[in-house]
Amino acid sequence: MAHFLEIDRITKVFGTTSAGAAAINVIDGISMNIDEGEVVVFLGPSGCGKSTLMRMVGGLETPTTGRIVLEGREVKGPDRQKGMVFQSYSSFPWLKVLDNVRFGLRFRTDIDAAEKDRIARHYLRMVGLGDFEDYWVNRISGGMRQRVAIARTFAAGPDILLMDEPFGALDAQNREFLQLQLRDLCLKERKTVIFVTHDVEEAVFLADRIFVFSARPAKILEEIAIRDLLPAERDIKLRESETFFNLRNRILGLTRTQALRSEQMEVSQ
Amino acid sequence: MTLLGTASFVAVIALWWAVAALHLLPPQYLPSPAAVVSKFYVLLVKYNFIGDIGISIFRVWSAFLLSAAMAIPLGILMSSFPIVNGLSQSMIDFIRYLPVPALVPLTIIWLGIGESSKIALLWMGTFFQLVLLVADDARRVPREYIEIGLTTGAKPRQILRSIVLPAMLPSMVDNLRITLGWCWTYLIIAEIVAADSGIGYVIMSARRYVKTDEVMAGILAIGIIGLATDQAIRWLHRRWFVYLT
Repeated sequence: MAHFLEIDRITKVFGTTSAGAAAINVIDGISMNIDEGEVVVFLGPSGCGKSTLMRMVGGLETPTTGRIVLEGREVKGPDRQKGMVFQSYSSFPWLKVLDNVRFGLRFRTDIDAAEKDRIARHYLRMVGLGDFEDYWVNRISGGMRQRVAIARTFAAGPDILLMDEPFGALDAQNREFLQLQLRDLCLKERKTVIFVTHDVEEAVFLADRIFVFSARPAKILEEIAIRDLLPAERDIKLRESETFFNLRNRILGLTRTQALRSEQMEVSQ
Repeated sequence: MTLLGTASFVAVIALWWAVAALHLLPPQYLPSPAAVVSKFYVLLVKYNFIGDIGISIFRVWSAFLLSAAMAIPLGILMSSFPIVNGLSQSMIDFIRYLPVPALVPLTIIWLGIGESSKIALLWMGTFFQLVLLVADDARRVPREYIEIGLTTGAKPRQILRSIVLPAMLPSMVDNLRITLGWCWTYLIIAEIVAADSGIGYVIMSARRYVKTDEVMAGILAIGIIGLATDQAIRWLHRRWFVYLT
């Protein structure tokens, strides 16, 4: 059976093109299938290759071997079907909030300006920034800026949303709030999402499924079907539940040794 | 200008005035501020100093605009295509280190002593610097911005127009402002060596007769023009890029 997204025996080796540089094995044969509407989290230590794999899904990197097939078509490069939210530089400072959201639709020729406006305003309200359309993004908080980026990406109407540690630079309260909002938005919009993070609690709270990555070269250590263990609709209280707590501890145990290995690897290089 | 900026100006002029008023130095060395200002006025009304100022401004801006019009596209090309960068980088670095005064004889041999030789000299002094600054500005555009464009379906031209240019514009305008300042330095070199008009020519011919007040009036004119242009560009910068503040 064909899946929405198929990641098929992907490997990635960096540094083989330039002479002299030692080749670094980043991804070591990863395969997985992702269904439409799933929120999948790639969890792993920093520098392990989880971002690289996600960027390949977005067509921003090419695999050394293996292939990625989205909706029956092999991914060859970036396009509007694969939206991206970054941790920093996630919105354009020279555009106001609404114009940043509208940017997601800017290069579409199949709808007119009024429709673009309507869609942009719709998603801006969805992320709770309806009253801030006329603000410069430098004047709003970091958390609000990430919401602008999320609204822009949703407005662009991609088939899959790729989020590269989008809440990594935010403080704890802001993170929790944005995680809640994002989970909500994903349920409402039935979007397929790949979310990259090294924060275990964030992963458990957001995910339908978590793929735990090993230290470099990345392999899948374990796949955890969170959707079988936690309800689809999540709220703040869930974080205090025993199931959540136990899940978090079990995964922390898994990732701790990997984080250590990952760190030793960086030092020895 | 800030209050502090104005205060430092006032202090320097007061000191100058005091030294002159107390006759600590002969006026051939240091004429009083009043003498310089009145000479400035005389130059303006009697000796068509406005014409000299005009021709100098014309030379500076023609060379500056020519440099900018060539450096901006080439700089952006260098930043996006390694092959363009590879072809031009070492050549530019070589020319960039040549002192502009050393090029004066060449420009005179090649282009004579007309306007074109002066503009060519200023162009050589600024273009090779500016192109590298522009390339750096373009290179500093965060990768994320470009990738936002790629994942919203922008074509290369659209990425250039809607992302790269607006992202690099504030630092590029700063670099253009600084380059315009260099143009004035090179202009005086060009006009001192071979010219029969322009502020540099006025200064040079006044020196021949030790008319120090006239020399200083010429310098004053350059200072005022420089300060005014700089302030005007800074003002525009603040207006265009309000989102930076």
